[in-house]
Amino acid sequence: MYVPEPISKLIDGFMRLPGIGPKTAQRLAFFVLDMEEEDVMDLAKALVHAKRDLKRCRDCSNITDREVCSVCSDKNRDRSVICVVQDPRDVIAMERTREYDGLYHVLHGAISPMEGIGPDELSIPDLLKRLEDETVKELILATNPNIEGEATAMYLQRLVKPFGLKVTRIAHGLPVGGDLEYADEVTLTKALEGRREL
Amino acid sequence: MLSKIEGIVIRTQDYGESNKVVILFTRDRGKLAAMARGAKKPKSRVGAATQPFTLGQYLCFAGNGMATISQADILQSHYPLRADLFLTAYTAYMTELLDRLTEDKEPHPFLYELLATTLSHLEEGTDPDILSRIFELKVLEAVGYRPRLDGCAVCGKVEGPMKFSVSQGGLICLEDARHDSQALPLSPPAARILKLLQRVTPDRLGQVQVKEETKNQMERVIRSFMDEYVDLRFKSRPFLDRLRKEDP
Repeated sequence: MYVPEPISKLIDGFMRLPGIGPKTAQRLAFFVLDMEEEDVMDLAKALVHAKRDLKRCRDCSNITDREVCSVCSDKNRDRSVICVVQDPRDVIAMERTREYDGLYHVLHGAISPMEGIGPDELSIPDLLKRLEDETVKELILATNPNIEGEATAMYLQRLVKPFGLKVTRIAHGLPVGGDLEYADEVTLTKALEGRREL
Repeated sequence: MLSKIEGIVIRTQDYGESNKVVILFTRDRGKLAAMARGAKKPKSRVGAATQPFTLGQYLCFAGNGMATISQADILQSHYPLRADLFLTAYTAYMTELLDRLTEDKEPHPFLYELLATTLSHLEEGTDPDILSRIFELKVLEAVGYRPRLDGCAVCGKVEGPMKFSVSQGGLICLEDARHDSQALPLSPPAARILKLLQRVTPDRLGQVQVKEETKNQMERVIRSFMDEYVDLRFKSRPFLDRLRKEDP
């Protein structure tokens, strides 16, 4: 099938995105052709700017377009608590709760003994540097409740012991709106362990 | 067609936004892959049952392609193995060994039993180093590599001090070791225990107390043997080594 080179390049570009196969890539490419030139330019600029201008925050390693991200530079945030998360998307999820007003630290991954991903591939040294500051009193380990997240939490807990901080792990249990009958025994055990007095 | 499969999750791989491909090690069908749709979502009913090291019963729908898990029941969660960093690292190493050395859909009922009993013993607190050596020896034997540990691999001599020769594939007496400059030293207790470990299964092991030095020697010879004959780079090994180095 004859396809002009600019379109085939565009299709190839879309196909590099996750979850996009050849058919979807072709549909997106032809949709772009029908878009207003101004909108296409905005999209192209947004892609380039996101790639060029975003960097890691000097303090928390979250992605930001400034030297220090908006959370770290916010004077109203509680500087005595740091919540450790695996991914920048986890910060967005935590911020949606509007319940947490401390700082974050983004590891950019998790330790995976099965995949051979060790602590050196995460932003752990930056975290240790932050803990030297005596204003930090609590470290919340909010890594995922799966094998990689647990391994990372356990490793960090051992590593930060000398700092004498309060180290907490986010609770595991039943999801809101879930049904007890369908909960598996591991989740139920965890929910029972983490029960609290009313 | 729906089928009920009992198996142990030895590996999982993220697939798409919220799906996981689960690699199960089963008694009758060997190693097989099944898709767990939505397993990463918090409300998923199969999320916990598809965590690595879980022994479960999986109701799978098998069409032409990969089977899809539609229901899952946990028979043994082996949660303690995921809640201790050292045990996670040891179990990850053993499941990787099994995963890399066995072929898909090739039944190994003995290895399935071995894996199930090894995980239970790890959870109960049996020495993970000793369990790892038994596991390595049994898996190696099942796939065709059996080091000779009951006598000299060259002359057959049974008594006396021995070394380990990787090139001869087993123990070697001191007389024959003179022709093998690469032969690894092995203390008499280490040689005796290795021979024993090759014959026992974890459920018949009982209480074992082995000196650290003897364990290190045994690990060194088995690793050298594996590196020579199996020639695989295990991803989980550097992490395990690092942990043990940082906190022996």
